[in-house]
Amino acid sequence: MSKTTRIIFIAGILVGIVLVAAWGLPKLRPHAFYGTLLQSPDKAPEFSLDSVLGELSLEDFRGQIVMLYFGYTFCPDVCPATLAEVSGAMKLLGKKAEDVQVIMISVDPLRDSVEELDEYVSHFYPSFLGVTGSEEEIASLATLYGVFYEKHEGTEATGYLIDHTATVMVIDRDGHLKLIFPFGAPAAEIAEDIAYLLK
Amino acid sequence: MKRALQIGFYGLLGTLVVAALAFKIFQPVQVVPRIRLSPGFALVTQDGGRITNEDLRGKFVVFNFTYTNCEAPCGYMDNTILAIQSRLDEINLGDIELLFVTISFDPKTDTPEKLKAYADSLGADPDQWIFATTEDQVLLKAIIGAGFEAYYNQNEDGTFTFDPKFVLVDGWGIVRGEYRYQTQVPDTDRILRHIQVLSDEVQNSTGSASLAYEAAHYFLCYTP
Repeated sequence: MSKTTRIIFIAGILVGIVLVAAWGLPKLRPHAFYGTLLQSPDKAPEFSLDSVLGELSLEDFRGQIVMLYFGYTFCPDVCPATLAEVSGAMKLLGKKAEDVQVIMISVDPLRDSVEELDEYVSHFYPSFLGVTGSEEEIASLATLYGVFYEKHEGTEATGYLIDHTATVMVIDRDGHLKLIFPFGAPAAEIAEDIAYLLK
Repeated sequence: MKRALQIGFYGLLGTLVVAALAFKIFQPVQVVPRIRLSPGFALVTQDGGRITNEDLRGKFVVFNFTYTNCEAPCGYMDNTILAIQSRLDEINLGDIELLFVTISFDPKTDTPEKLKAYADSLGADPDQWIFATTEDQVLLKAIIGAGFEAYYNQNEDGTFTFDPKFVLVDGWGIVRGEYRYQTQVPDTDRILRHIQVLSDEVQNSTGSASLAYEAAHYFLCYTP
């Protein structure tokens, strides 16, 4: 092997190493999630609830990322603030948002009809869905998702209000609960985590 | 100069690759897994007060499930909690509060008064060990059976067949450990070790160290 050939050979190997490293190193570096990452082997609790599109279950959205939120349409502050951030995340995701479904489960099944829910959630983003069911169904489902809620006195104008856990839960394409965002998570952080899960 | 830069670049590259592999193999940081969300609940305590999962945010909680008329293995479960409490000076919790919550799945018998008498008979400190239940049997089944995944069923003679299980929940309401009666390692030792690992994560997981802890979760570096 001549000197020139040897130099070209070594240079080729070095270029190869650099290319492999450039490809492999980012894969070795874990994405630093803003939300709290769960690695549950179990599927997220299933449900079958009413919506303006008819009965919907979590299984209907396999292959998509689902963001789940428990709230209600009379909610004065926490729900609009959270849904606005989630809506902001959807806008930041752009076309990728087509693979994401946001679902709000009503903790106020007595007052929230499917029509009212639809009108409320679609105000934040057109594809958002609102679902509801019987009081017993909602209570059991909220329990499984670690959500606590209870009614308390409001004003004459608002009627009763409901205190509730305000986390946003992210379910991956295979139906596993993957991330939890606390109340107040900003749109940019939600979008970054969702974009990573969509890869 | 050019050669020195080359050596430096490849040296750095090699170090990064070796460091990532070493992290996975040697697991310098270990964590307890984030298993699933613990259930939401509102229960009545032995003092007739109310406790919800939201009240427990920011605290570590060891849950177990029982009924006061139980004989074996409930004695073992109570003794395990008492043993953990007596050995808390072996671990460093910093400012984190640790609570024990025993949920009865027999609300017909286990009224707050009965729970209080039972707690008193064990010498349980009411500030650290809470006994609770709810009369809503459907919700109770959802909380214990589905939420904590602890099986229980009432027999014809009024006794219960159940899964004698401890569940460790962190301050975010996430299940971090599940421990069953009669495993090879004594439950007391394992629960104490896991509480320490969890406490280390909460206390040290700030700034750049948080990346190491997240990497440990990502690479599944779970403590046995």
